[in-house]
Amino acid sequence: MTRDEIFAKVVEIVKPFVKNEDALAAVNDETNILEDLKVNSARLVDIILNFEDEFDIEVEDEDADAVNTVGDAVALIEEKLS
Amino acid sequence: MSQLPFRFRAAHAIQREVTRLAAIFWVVPIAFIMRVLMRYHIKDVAQVRTRYRALVKERKHPLLICPNHLTMMDSAVIAWALGGSWWYVFHYSRMPWNLPEYNNFASQWPTRIGAWITKCIPVIRGGRREDVSRVIKRVQHLLARGETALIFPEAGRSRSGRVEADSVAHAVGRILTSVPGCQPLCVYLRGDRQRTWSTIPARGDSFYIEFEVVEPQSDHSGMRRSRDFSRQIVDRLVGMEEEYFASR
Repeated sequence: MTRDEIFAKVVEIVKPFVKNEDALAAVNDETNILEDLKVNSARLVDIILNFEDEFDIEVEDEDADAVNTVGDAVALIEEKLS
Repeated sequence: MSQLPFRFRAAHAIQREVTRLAAIFWVVPIAFIMRVLMRYHIKDVAQVRTRYRALVKERKHPLLICPNHLTMMDSAVIAWALGGSWWYVFHYSRMPWNLPEYNNFASQWPTRIGAWITKCIPVIRGGRREDVSRVIKRVQHLLARGETALIFPEAGRSRSGRVEADSVAHAVGRILTSVPGCQPLCVYLRGDRQRTWSTIPARGDSFYIEFEVVEPQSDHSGMRRSRDFSRQIVDRLVGMEEEYFASR
């Protein structure tokens, strides 16, 4: 799976939880999931569990702590898939 | 559970000992304010305290108090309702550590000092995961040392005035799954005059309180297990709330 494909899937997974549609329209690696996309912090866990299902990976709490931006999420998934 | 860095362990040891020595100067006055100045009343208080004291005597495990959340004074009222005031002076590990919202309780120096003295670890809710994780590790460390902590399993004060089952804080499950033997104590607290959420309960309010130890289960591991635990605790609070309204 290419990085672009992972990025597209990550955005697709995050989309239902996003409250700031304008930020989603301009999403990039630097987009902060909580601050820019205004995702409720309590829902971040659901997003990461959706990553697990979609990419067939297992994410530990410590790994998830490093996920702040969309780019962080993509990097984590790339690492787990490699 | 990874070990907390030395500086945090040392900081907590100092905070715990200083606040323990000063307990008589803050625990008793806060109880006085609630009882005399605010004229708060706990229903069946003698029975509540007898049950709670028997529970902590019987169970030697670390206890994570998980209450519903309607006002900014919930943690103080719950601590007072369960243990009174003088009892904590002699059973200081049972005075729960609190995790108040940083912006409400610790953004200014005077309130920050007040939070430090009253066994608080301020946290920015919805803040950077690394920062929240650091606070969680501090709570894990304290519980593993036999301390008691209080954390609201809903991700904030309920705006509807009812336990919000969709608003689940993952931190509760994460702590429970990482501290061996740690048990959640679900607590339902509600003042008779509490219609919805507020800053402080109304003066003269009379509080109903009920509590029970729950044993969450999950067939999963990792984050899924933590989430299952958190959800089961919030679900139990929903059940306790239904029992409260059904009995009125």
